Amino acid sequence: MIRRIAEVLDAWVTQTNLEAQAEGMRRLPPCHIRVLGQMALLEAGSRLSLLATNDVDVYADYEYPIEVEFKRLLSLEGKELDPVGHEIWMPRETEYVHLFKGRFIRLSVADSDAVLISKAARAPDKNRSLLTEYLAGGASQRFLSLATKYKVDLERFL
Amino acid sequence: MTMDPTEIQARARRRLAMDRRARKEPRYLRVIGRYVSAGLLEANHPVAEHAEPITVEDVLYVGRLEPRVLELLPAALIKTPRMFVIPKALPADLKAVVNSLRQSKEPADFRGVKGAKLLSWLSRIGRKNKLPSRLKSFRLQAEEQRLLERVSQRLQLSETDVVRKALRELAAKELLADKK
Repeated sequence: MIRRIAEVLDAWVTQTNLEAQAEGMRRLPPCHIRVLGQMALLEAGSRLSLLATNDVDVYADYEYPIEVEFKRLLSLEGKELDPVGHEIWMPRETEYVHLFKGRFIRLSVADSDAVLISKAARAPDKNRSLLTEYLAGGASQRFLSLATKYKVDLERFL
Repeated sequence: MTMDPTEIQARARRRLAMDRRARKEPRYLRVIGRYVSAGLLEANHPVAEHAEPITVEDVLYVGRLEPRVLELLPAALIKTPRMFVIPKALPADLKAVVNSLRQSKEPADFRGVKGAKLLSWLSRIGRKNKLPSRLKSFRLQAEEQRLLERVSQRLQLSETDVVRKALRELAAKELLADKK
């Protein structure tokens, strides 16, 4: 879903910039949208049992007109851009997997280990059952290393 | 904190077995099914949608396993009340949160959910961008009432919308005047 939105958004920016160029106006610069939270897990095809609200958390360096169009496209899919999504803490080691690269829009999703560490560190109660399920399936060595580094108390999920 | 990964997995499996039993309970299925049916939650696994109203008591119980239902509950009680069988008396903490939200004020944290998060859902569920309104009464003289009716007819707005529009325009003018 989010990849399709990025494609449509890229086409919109391309068209807008063509019109701006023809009118001698300033063009919108390229941007990078990085998807976080439950949406990142859903898009990564996680096998965990996920329940998500309809909000989408992102880090993005887009300009305001692109944000407005992105919000509009999300709303057509019944999604909302979380107004405070950019305040989410993510570990420095987060890797972003590319989903789409257009002329002006680059879209990637945070890797699952980093998303789960973020949830375990900052919202452990809200994500307790999700983390339990993940640990029951056998946590990756990377997750365990990050948990040690960021002092995540795994006891509370067991 | 150093724990053997095998031990972590074994203990997590035991806890997961308990969670899975809880997820098979009828009240869990009803609550999650109702939230999914209302479009408030999305799942990546099959969920039997439930169209009938659910009790607030069940939501509070299920919230211990899935706090996202608690995050949405106060705003949903205001914006989509037909989802619920609402008791005559809500639990005191929930009632306080709902009262704050009705005034569009940030409530206190509710059972582990931040007040700011609870408030953010108010404009995002049910009728989007529609916030609760409160009754305020004013006494107008007959001439002012006639004036309000005339402006309302002329602008084809309700009398309430005329007052809102006038208030916004006056506020914008006064705020601009302050800045000068």
